[in-house]
Amino acid sequence: MVRVKSRYLLCEVNVSDRSRLLLLDDRAVATAVRAAVARTHGDYGSALCTIGFSVKYLNAHTGIVFLRFPKRSYKLLWSALPFITSVESRGQKIPCSLNCLHVGGTIRTCQKFLIRYNTQQLHLMLPQCKNEGKEEKQQVRKAILNCSLPGGNKEAFEDELEIEEDEEE
Amino acid sequence: MSAAKVKMREKKMRNQPASVQYPSSQGSGQEGGDTPSTGATGGDGPSDIHRSTDRQKKHHHRSGWVRGHQRDGGSYDKEMPKYITGGAFAKARAAEVSAMLKAVTKTTGSSHVFGALPKHMRRRAMSHNTKRLPRRLRDVANRLREKSLQAGSKKKKEQAKCKSRKARRRHGNLLLEFNRRQRKNVWLETHIWHAKRFHMVKKWGYCLGDRPTYKCYRPSYRAMSTHCLLQDLSYYCCIELQGEEDKLLASLSQLTSKEAGPTFAAVLCTSGKRQGSVVVYRAGLYPSQPLGPVTFLWRPRTQGSTHRQLWIWAHPTNKQDLLAELQSVCQCTEAIVPPLVPAATTAETGPTPEPETRPEKTPEATRLPGTKRKRNCKDAGEPPAKKILGDGTRSPTCPVTWRSNSTGIVINDLTMEIVRYRLIGPQSHSVLAETFEAATDCDERNKSQTSSLWWPEHCKDESKMNLHRQQADVFHILKDIYSTGELPAGTVLGLAVDDPRLTLPTKKVKALPSVKQTQEVDEAEEEKRRELMLRGVPEHCCQSSLWDQSVRDNVTNNKMSEQSVFLAICVLQELNRMKSEVLVPGSRLSSTPPQGRVPVLLVHQPGKQVGHEMSSWGAGWDLLLPKGWGMAFWVPLVYRGVRIGGLNMSLKHSQNKGIPHFPHDYPDCPAGVCFEEEQEAELLNKFKRRPPAKRTNYIKHGCLAPFRCPWQQLAEEWELIAMQTTTRTDTLTEEETTSRPDDGVAKPQSRFTVLRNRKSLRLLSDWCRPTTSKGQRRCRVGQAPPLDSSAARQFLAEHGTSVVWVRLSLPSKGKPELHAAVCVPVAEDLRLLNKKLDGGGPQEPLHKNHFKSRIKRKKKGAKKAATSSDKTDGKESDLPNLTTSTENPKSSSESSADLIFGLWPDPLPSVTSHCSRVTLGWVTQGDFSLSAGCGEALGFVSVAGLLNTLLDQPAEHRGVVLLRNPASLQYRLAKINIEV
Repeated sequence: MVRVKSRYLLCEVNVSDRSRLLLLDDRAVATAVRAAVARTHGDYGSALCTIGFSVKYLNAHTGIVFLRFPKRSYKLLWSALPFITSVESRGQKIPCSLNCLHVGGTIRTCQKFLIRYNTQQLHLMLPQCKNEGKEEKQQVRKAILNCSLPGGNKEAFEDELEIEEDEEE
Repeated sequence: MSAAKVKMREKKMRNQPASVQYPSSQGSGQEGGDTPSTGATGGDGPSDIHRSTDRQKKHHHRSGWVRGHQRDGGSYDKEMPKYITGGAFAKARAAEVSAMLKAVTKTTGSSHVFGALPKHMRRRAMSHNTKRLPRRLRDVANRLREKSLQAGSKKKKEQAKCKSRKARRRHGNLLLEFNRRQRKNVWLETHIWHAKRFHMVKKWGYCLGDRPTYKCYRPSYRAMSTHCLLQDLSYYCCIELQGEEDKLLASLSQLTSKEAGPTFAAVLCTSGKRQGSVVVYRAGLYPSQPLGPVTFLWRPRTQGSTHRQLWIWAHPTNKQDLLAELQSVCQCTEAIVPPLVPAATTAETGPTPEPETRPEKTPEATRLPGTKRKRNCKDAGEPPAKKILGDGTRSPTCPVTWRSNSTGIVINDLTMEIVRYRLIGPQSHSVLAETFEAATDCDERNKSQTSSLWWPEHCKDESKMNLHRQQADVFHILKDIYSTGELPAGTVLGLAVDDPRLTLPTKKVKALPSVKQTQEVDEAEEEKRRELMLRGVPEHCCQSSLWDQSVRDNVTNNKMSEQSVFLAICVLQELNRMKSEVLVPGSRLSSTPPQGRVPVLLVHQPGKQVGHEMSSWGAGWDLLLPKGWGMAFWVPLVYRGVRIGGLNMSLKHSQNKGIPHFPHDYPDCPAGVCFEEEQEAELLNKFKRRPPAKRTNYIKHGCLAPFRCPWQQLAEEWELIAMQTTTRTDTLTEEETTSRPDDGVAKPQSRFTVLRNRKSLRLLSDWCRPTTSKGQRRCRVGQAPPLDSSAARQFLAEHGTSVVWVRLSLPSKGKPELHAAVCVPVAEDLRLLNKKLDGGGPQEPLHKNHFKSRIKRKKKGAKKAATSSDKTDGKESDLPNLTTSTENPKSSSESSADLIFGLWPDPLPSVTSHCSRVTLGWVTQGDFSLSAGCGEALGFVSVAGLLNTLLDQPAEHRGVVLLRNPASLQYRLAKINIEV
């Protein structure tokens, strides 16, 4: 099949102050990336950046970003990402760096990777929670259980699906 | 992006996770909203993102957070938290994971089962057999399938099929079914033949063929003008009157008037030589309340008897009125129910109980299947169910005969008792001559013994046989005639013919005239032919046995082998067998079976008698047969290469002939009024079926009533105008005293009439002609009083509220349509005519739709505005004296409840002065006339209006009017012809 091929970069936004992460905005990320590309690769780079570049997903809580680049030039654009040192968002400058976790050909593979990665992270978190007593640990455990029980989730999805189907008819 | 696309996209992105971020408006206040600036940030991708965020925000405003978070319990505030705990972070991660999980597990695209399958794995049969699907999709597919099955069963109920097709098609059962189906609308004898080939309509209590399913408009016209077109007119109702001649004439004279042309008492007609036609009025009410046109036929006199028999043929729509009227004028009040009526059917219905006790309408139609089957077993030879002959809807108890004690007149309702076929075209006599063979003599041995059949008895009487021989001679001469139109109009010829099925050609052939031997034909033959053409058929040859009820019944009951009339197939098979015994197939059988003689009556129909071109176009013969013989004659006629026409074609026939067609062109008859109402409803329905934007806006075209013609209003308005103009002139010529009282007398006459007075029509027709166009008409004009104001006033005193039927021909361009308006040309239009004739006429300026706003208001659901007087004021143009009469703001606002876009609501303003040209009348039939080669229209104009117009016009342009179609602004010049 003929289609426009692109690469999806799954990046993690690393910030020193986690609370400021919540200020993030997908437009802000996009402008930051564009600025970095323009700085490192000049007009050519910024031109490449205009077509087929977008921020597909941003989670301000976890700092996960999906970036979409055209496949032809993703390596060049990727090379500009380490030069991002701060993101300007809502009038504040958030010092941060982007860490690329995964490069995928479709969003789907990125999502799959993200699931794996997040569960892994939660599992890593669990043994570290000791100082704050039971409460936090409890929460983390609950979260792990939530995401590692796909069966339960699935049923819920099914119900939802049926409701939607009914609405369509 | 269109709404549909957005919707599609939303559906597709349903399961995809949306970005999770705090809305910027609630942040530390950087910029107002994020949506306006989204477009600027970049190409396609970012905007999509933002749309999804927008969507998410919508959710957010409603119930909090993204789906995943919601499920967790929505523990986040809308406000941005000051700090982050590990637990919250874990929760965020978990939510993200579940969102991603959802995105990964669910396929994008439609949620349909087959959508989930890649294209190359889809198979058509999967929708029927779910086992062909991969197992993971089977459950969903099963559920979907059940659902759809349920929905389907809800919609259409399972039809209970009691019998197999074979059982249903069995002859007896089929007949029962047929009889059931014609309980409401009677079928003609040729119904099944027609139903296979025609668009059938249910009209006037009959099932009639409207037009063939194949394309044959022009071929049918060609058949009418060069060969022959066949129609089944059996739906016309025949009413028989019997009694003393003078008494009959005395009673009937009340129904007609000599002013409107020859009546029932016309000498040619009473002799029985000619068929006549009159317009019948309610008794003694001559100029008003007409019933409709009828044709009538007297039975020729028998020697030494004043007892006469008269057939009146009427259209089914005005039959009931006519019958009631006839009963009252003949004082025939005593109904005769007895056995005379079902004589044709009692033979079969004998075993069943008396018809009076049965609740059903026809004994044959609803015979119980059980009893029928029994009869079937008992007697195999007898037909199981009787085919309905004659009128099936009439209940057997309903009387068909009425007798008068005082005058001795007997009225007999012969509806459906006589089959009537019409052959139109110059070659119809050749078709008849080829199809029929004058009945052959009986064998000698048959003559000696008495027979139950009519023909052998007939043969015994030498005088009758003499007559038959003479009739056969005439019929032979008929073959030599070049065209049917050469015969005198309305000629009648009685005949007895052999069963035409015996000479049925094996292939369809085209009957052609045999005129070639005219040169070598001897003098006597030539003389006879000339005699026939000039004088018509001699009187004694018009006699036919068809007039006798007993003979008709005898023929009907003894049709071919058995009493079974419907088994035509069997008959044909039998005939074929008989034919095969003859050496050469198709040749004449040496001895026809004794049942195969039928009395028929041939009645000539006149052709076009008006106008100058194509005179006697569309002449033909009517063929009258006893009932039951319909198909036996129909198929042989069809095999002679005739075309078959339906109702549509008979309309076109009369249009081309330039005669009014019943009930279209009789707006003053009850049937005509009824027809106009039906037509309006039908046209309105058709109009409403279109979306408002695709409808013709008749208000803008200045067409007040595109679907009907308000004749009454037209006549009244013109009367008013005429009165005003006369008074204006009268003040000058002081003749007021003579004319005014007459007007006063004419006034209370409420209903408009159609002018049918011969003398007046002739006068009008002369006045309509331009005086200088042709010399030979000058002399006739000289006889009539020349058109001036005094003559016109005199004329108007008599026929003030009348409308007159006119023929309009368009010399140049234009094809008139139904309900086109006939308008008065102004002086400059006539100048235009002088310059060049082929140019287009004047144009109507576009009107303004004052009702648009009102319709809009209604749509909005706002309360009906009480005042709308200003809406309708601006309409009136020319004659200011009329504007106030019909305008009533209150009533118009009341009627706004049923406003239809593009149609004028009900209380119409002045119909005459609505447009820039004054309206005279409307067209009831209009089309491109193939016979004249230009557009021709038939319609009515107001007499007062016409006279006014003629008076104003210069002599060389008399009778020029304008025609405008309802859906057009273009006026076309047309010429008025009034024919007598």
